[in-house]
Amino acid sequence: MERGNKFAVMKMMNGNEAVARGAFEAGVKVASGFPGTPSTEVMDYTRHYYPEIYCEWSTNEKVGLEVAIGASFAGYRSMAIMKTVGLHVAADALGGAAGSQINGGLVIVVGDDVGRTAGDDYNDVRHYGNMFNIPVFEPADSQEAKDLMVKAFEISEEYSTPVIFKITSVICKTTSKVIIDDEITYEAKCNVKYPVSFSKVIMTTMMMNAKGSEHPKLTKCFNDFPAHMKRLASDSNDFDFNRLELNGKKIGVITAGTPYYYAKEVLPEASFLKLGLVMPLPEKKIRELADHVDELYVIEDGHDLLEKNIKDLGVSVVGKELFPKFPDMMRFTPDIIEERLVPKAERRSVLEGIPFRLPVSCAGCSHLFVANILKKHKIKAAADVTCGLIGCFPHMESYSLQKCMGSSIALSHGYNVATDHKENFVAMIGDGGFWATGINGLMNLIFNDSQSTVIIVDNSCLAMTGGQHVASSDFGFNYKPENKLEISKVCEAIGVKDIVTVDAYEYDNLEKAITSAVNAKTNSVVIVKKPCVTKFKLPKNTPSYIDQDKCTKCRKCINLGCLAIESKKTKDGKVDIVINEDLCVGCGLCSTACKFDAIKS
Amino acid sequence: MQDTGKNIIIAGLGGQGILLFSNLLSKYYMNLGYELKISDVIGLGQRGGGVESHFRYSNKPVLSPFIKAGDVDYLISFEQTETLRYLHCLKDDGVVLTSTFELSTSSVNTRLEKDMPECKTEIIKRSGKKTFIVDPDEHKNPDFDISKMMNVVMLGYYAELRGYSHDDMIQVVKESVPAKFVEGNIKAYQKGTEIACAELAVK
Repeated sequence: MERGNKFAVMKMMNGNEAVARGAFEAGVKVASGFPGTPSTEVMDYTRHYYPEIYCEWSTNEKVGLEVAIGASFAGYRSMAIMKTVGLHVAADALGGAAGSQINGGLVIVVGDDVGRTAGDDYNDVRHYGNMFNIPVFEPADSQEAKDLMVKAFEISEEYSTPVIFKITSVICKTTSKVIIDDEITYEAKCNVKYPVSFSKVIMTTMMMNAKGSEHPKLTKCFNDFPAHMKRLASDSNDFDFNRLELNGKKIGVITAGTPYYYAKEVLPEASFLKLGLVMPLPEKKIRELADHVDELYVIEDGHDLLEKNIKDLGVSVVGKELFPKFPDMMRFTPDIIEERLVPKAERRSVLEGIPFRLPVSCAGCSHLFVANILKKHKIKAAADVTCGLIGCFPHMESYSLQKCMGSSIALSHGYNVATDHKENFVAMIGDGGFWATGINGLMNLIFNDSQSTVIIVDNSCLAMTGGQHVASSDFGFNYKPENKLEISKVCEAIGVKDIVTVDAYEYDNLEKAITSAVNAKTNSVVIVKKPCVTKFKLPKNTPSYIDQDKCTKCRKCINLGCLAIESKKTKDGKVDIVINEDLCVGCGLCSTACKFDAIKS
Repeated sequence: MQDTGKNIIIAGLGGQGILLFSNLLSKYYMNLGYELKISDVIGLGQRGGGVESHFRYSNKPVLSPFIKAGDVDYLISFEQTETLRYLHCLKDDGVVLTSTFELSTSSVNTRLEKDMPECKTEIIKRSGKKTFIVDPDEHKNPDFDISKMMNVVMLGYYAELRGYSHDDMIQVVKESVPAKFVEGNIKAYQKGTEIACAELAVK
């Protein structure tokens, strides 16, 4: 296939892969960030296909963004990758970069979990666009994801601003064709325009003092970012990725991302303004569409931000009054648009009574052992953001408090100081959460003289997002054995009084370690070691089975929360508790829990 | 190209190889020159959670990554509770191809809610759609582990149902799975075509 004088090749890519390709074509030098569904694979693809690009999973999102900002100041294009919840962690870093002088293009690729498919809260990254006055891109398919990435870097440099590149759980996991020029070779360009780059704090001070003075020492510190953004807003009327499609005069739709395609399919006669750059808005094009149609709608996933911004321009549009947002709607689908905008659309609803699936831990997961021991001894505990948070769900009920990534240590400390350490409220945290921000909680706990107990479940990776490496893993993009951090040594250096390391599958030892740590009047850390069963594909032991003659159906084993244990209807209509031998790894936890000796291997 | 395109929902659980199934199918349709959009919806939890893949191929550009309820031509499912979730999405003349495999849900296991009183296979049969039902337990054999390779069995079944070239499909399998798994996958594929042949002969 030949297109012009370039060699065009058609490839199937999902949005994550297309973003990585776009980064390659833009000549990105540094990619940093922190895993988070749905955008984790942007890094995986970048690392796998484009070894020219330096990649790192940083200890958390804030660090990841700061690495990218540093690389950008050095003159090289850099991208930070995270999910929206991660950008909350990195928001201070983004606020520092916003409005400052940008050398190499700086793009923050952020995954919004629209539809909340992977447990994200109902976030919308575009709020940061409004808050920091920075541009936000949003692609509608893989081709656009690739093409707009290149544009995002150009705009970052041209208008001296960090750029948010919003991708969603839909775009990330949708595969569609991408035409690429296979002849493109990698080129990392260096663009050093500014000798200094300071946050707005310094700039606003300079702005006040430098009024009327043209001394270069003063002016070099000052970046007139509101002017850059005004220019971008004006230029955005001419960008071809803000596309006006003037068709029928009845219905007009302003939209971006995959909702464009839902609306396009349902309303083929309508006129559209399809935005690639969702902030700032192309005012002229919006008015042109408004003048062309009788009814103007905004169809946007997430919060009603386009709607508010358009209304702020004085243009009247219909949005959430017709399409109420969360909790009425998780995300747009073609069905919702049809139901509201197409007369006499047929409505179909799902069959009633289909049981739902709460998330369940993989068979053999070390978190199941910890959750079981805490529950058995009625130890009150906080969970973190880790696979272990499954222990919060009502089928397990092992934890009573759970908030954000890395929080559990400080949460339990707060509880303990408030209750005068009368009960030891324990913190459970994964290795990923520990390195991300939990380590700060631990330092805080020590120097504030807390007597709390922390259980660190070390499965050698960030299991929840698919097994990326952390500082204490035995693998990684930039791994060297001598640089590996040991959790126990770090705890010791921080000053934890009592540190014990146990294998998760040694039930009795683990039980003893946890109970004695909780009962001791000192701060302590219990490190529970067992590599993630799914990531590391641990060799299986002989699967267990349930002796139906001995089973009393007390359901102690089922309430462990193991995926392999089921209650199954038999052919004669009664219910048996059974172990799925294909899923069971023979870890033996259920036989420990059974009081009737019914579980055997 | 007589077939102008179809909308397919592929459903099942994490760990059942749904993404491989849709990947293999996409390569087959790409080789035939179709336009494609495939959207995967994956929930929380690495294993055992619901997974659905909206698979659309067409001789015209595909717009929406999601298929509207009522527009689905084929529902291919690896777990029968999941089959029930998407039955209403089928066109009136839509086709169901489902495994009778069932993994009870955590909510039923822990008695947070009651299971459906009726047998799920019967509900599917009564749906009024054209149904093709495969019981993996009936086809256990020493050549390959059907609990792990049901996805490729179903691929063979689907290809036979659609009258596709098995040589072309097997070629896609060969190019896509690691060398050490090719033999087992081909056996699983052929098993699927055999089951389909027998079923089609009866129907």
